[in-house]
Amino acid sequence: MRPFATSLPVDVSSPGSDLSELDVPGARRRSALRSLWRHPRGRIGCILVGVVVLAAVAGATGLTPYNALFQNNAAILKAPSLSHLFGTDQFGRDELSLVMQGLWVTLEIACIAVAIAGTVGTIAGIVAGYLGRWTSAVIMRITDMLFAIPAILLALAIVTALGPGWLDSALAIGVGYIPIFVRIVRGPVLSLRESAYIRAGRVLGFSPVRLLFRHVLPNVSGIVAVQVSMALAWAILAEAALSFLGLGPPPPTASLGEMVSASSPLAATAWWTLAAPSVAIVVAVIGFNLLGDGLRDAIDPRTQRH
Amino acid sequence: MLRQIGRRLFTMIITLFGVSIIIFLILRLLPGNEVTASLGVSAGLLSHSQLAALDRYFGIGKPFYEQYGSWLGSVLTGNLGVSLQSRISVASLVGTALPVTLELAIGAMLIGEIIGVGFGVLGALHPAKFVDNLGQGVSIFGLSVPTFIIGTGMVTLLASVFHYFPSSEGFVSITANPWLNIQQIFFPALTLGLGVGAAIMKSTRTAMLEVIGLNFVRTARGKGLSRRVVIWKHLLLAAMIPVITMSGIQLGYLLGGTVVVEDIFVLPGLGRLLITSISDRDFAVVQSVTLIYAAAFIAVNMVTDLLYTWIDPRTRA
Repeated sequence: MRPFATSLPVDVSSPGSDLSELDVPGARRRSALRSLWRHPRGRIGCILVGVVVLAAVAGATGLTPYNALFQNNAAILKAPSLSHLFGTDQFGRDELSLVMQGLWVTLEIACIAVAIAGTVGTIAGIVAGYLGRWTSAVIMRITDMLFAIPAILLALAIVTALGPGWLDSALAIGVGYIPIFVRIVRGPVLSLRESAYIRAGRVLGFSPVRLLFRHVLPNVSGIVAVQVSMALAWAILAEAALSFLGLGPPPPTASLGEMVSASSPLAATAWWTLAAPSVAIVVAVIGFNLLGDGLRDAIDPRTQRH
Repeated sequence: MLRQIGRRLFTMIITLFGVSIIIFLILRLLPGNEVTASLGVSAGLLSHSQLAALDRYFGIGKPFYEQYGSWLGSVLTGNLGVSLQSRISVASLVGTALPVTLELAIGAMLIGEIIGVGFGVLGALHPAKFVDNLGQGVSIFGLSVPTFIIGTGMVTLLASVFHYFPSSEGFVSITANPWLNIQQIFFPALTLGLGVGAAIMKSTRTAMLEVIGLNFVRTARGKGLSRRVVIWKHLLLAAMIPVITMSGIQLGYLLGGTVVVEDIFVLPGLGRLLITSISDRDFAVVQSVTLIYAAAFIAVNMVTDLLYTWIDPRTRA
C-alpha cells in the first residue's frame, strides 16, 4: 500500500519511522505552511509581514540606508528621490531610515503586548475550559468585565497608571487583548475535556498540568496562532494610536505613531513626512491581517476555497 | 420582552460594578497620590504634619475597600469628585464635554450608515459594476487606514488646499451657531464614519447577496410589488440582522475612536478631556470619564442584543 503523503519530506527509510508516524504534528505543520503559501491572501500576508520584519530588523541593527539620526543640513525637507526614497524631514534626516527604526520600536512593543495577552489569555482560557464550574465562572466574569471596557481606553487607563514607557505601553496594549484569547481558547477546551483520549489520560493518572500542557495545549495551538497574527495587527494599530496621542515610549525612540503626529504641521508642504510612517503602519496591519486570514484557512480545511 | 430587558439591565449593572472595581484598581497602581499630583515637586517641601493632614483630607492610607466604597458611594449620589487641576467638579466638566462627544458619535454613525448601507445595497444589486468597485475601494481604504492617519490627512488637506480649519475660532455649541457647529463636527465625523462605514458596507453587501436569491424575493416581485419596495422593505429587512450586529460593534469601537479624533480636531469632548487629564495625572477625571465610556459601551452592546429580538422574532427564546 502506498503511503498517503509521499510528498512529505519525511525520511521513510530511517529506522523507527513507520507510516503511522507520518501524521506527527511536525508533518501537519509543514502541510499547513504549504497551504498557507497556496492561499492567495495568505501568501500576500506572508510577503508583507516578511518585508516589514526585515525592514524592522534592519532598522534595529543599523542597516538603514542612512544613519537615522544624522541631520543633513544640506537636505532639509527634500521630496522623495533616488537618494532619499521616502524624502527627508525638517532636520534633514532620511525618512526611510527613520521609518525602519520606528517600525522596530512599534513591532517590538506589539510583540511583547501580544506575548503577554497570548500567554495569560491562553492559560486562563485552558484553565477556564478545563477546571470546574467555580474557577471557570470567576475567570469568565473577569473576562466579561475586561471586555466591557473599550480596549484602547483600558490601555489609556493603564498608561496613566504606569506612566508612558516601553514595557508599560506593551502591558497596557496586551491587557486589552487578553479577553479575546480567553474566549477563543475556552470553547474548544470545553469539548476536548470530554474527548476519549483526555479521559483516558485522566484514568491513567496523568497530572492535570501534564494533561493541560502536553495534551490540550497542542490542540488549541492552531487557533492561538491565528489569533496571534490578528492580535499583532491590532497591537500595531494600538501602539501607533497611543504614541500618536503622546503616550508612547519616551524619546529618543520615535515609534511610527509619534512620527505621524510630528508630521502633521509639516504635511501640508511635505506630504511624504506623513505618507512614509502611514504607509509603514498600513502595510504592517494589512500584512498581519492577511497572514491571520491565510493561517485560519490553512489550519481549518473546512473554510478552504469557499 | 420586558423580562428580558430586566434581566439584561441586571447583568449590565453587575458588569458595570466590576468594571468600576477594575478601573479603580488600575488607577491605584499610579505611583504618587493626590498630594503629589496636585502639588508636584513642591509636595517635598511640606512638613510631616502638613502631609499627614493632606493625606487625611484625600483619604490616603485608608484600606482599599474603604477608598473604593467612599468613591462608589459618591458616584451613586451623582458626585464624581473634583478635578485636581482645574478645581471644577468633574460632573460639570463631563456635562460640557459629553454633548460634544455624543454629537460626534451620532454624526459619525449617521455617515457610516449612509456610506455603509448605501454602498452595500447598491454593490449587492450591481455586483462588479462601477458602484460596487467604488464601494469596495472605499471599504478597503476605511478598513485598513487607521483613524488617526485619516484624521491627520484630512486636517492637512483642509488647511493646505482649502485654507480652512473649522475649529480655528474655537468650538461653538449647536444651540449657539448651528451652521458653524455642523461644519466643525462634519469632518471629524467623516473621519470616524469612513472606518465605520467600511465595516458596515462589507456586512450589508454579504447579507444582501445572501437573501437576494431567496424565494420570497421572487414571490414579492411576482405579485407585482415595485422594485423599490422589494429592495428597501423586503430585502433590507431580511438582511438587517448582520448589519445591526456590525453597527453595534462599530458603535462600540467608535467610542474609543472619538478619543483620537477629538484630539486631532481639537474638539472639547470627553476624549480630549480624558487625554488632557491623563497628561495632568488628574485621576479623579480619568476615573469618571473611563467609567462613562465603559457604561456607554456596555449599554450599546445591550441595546444591540435587544434589537435582534425585536427585529427577528426567531431569536425570541
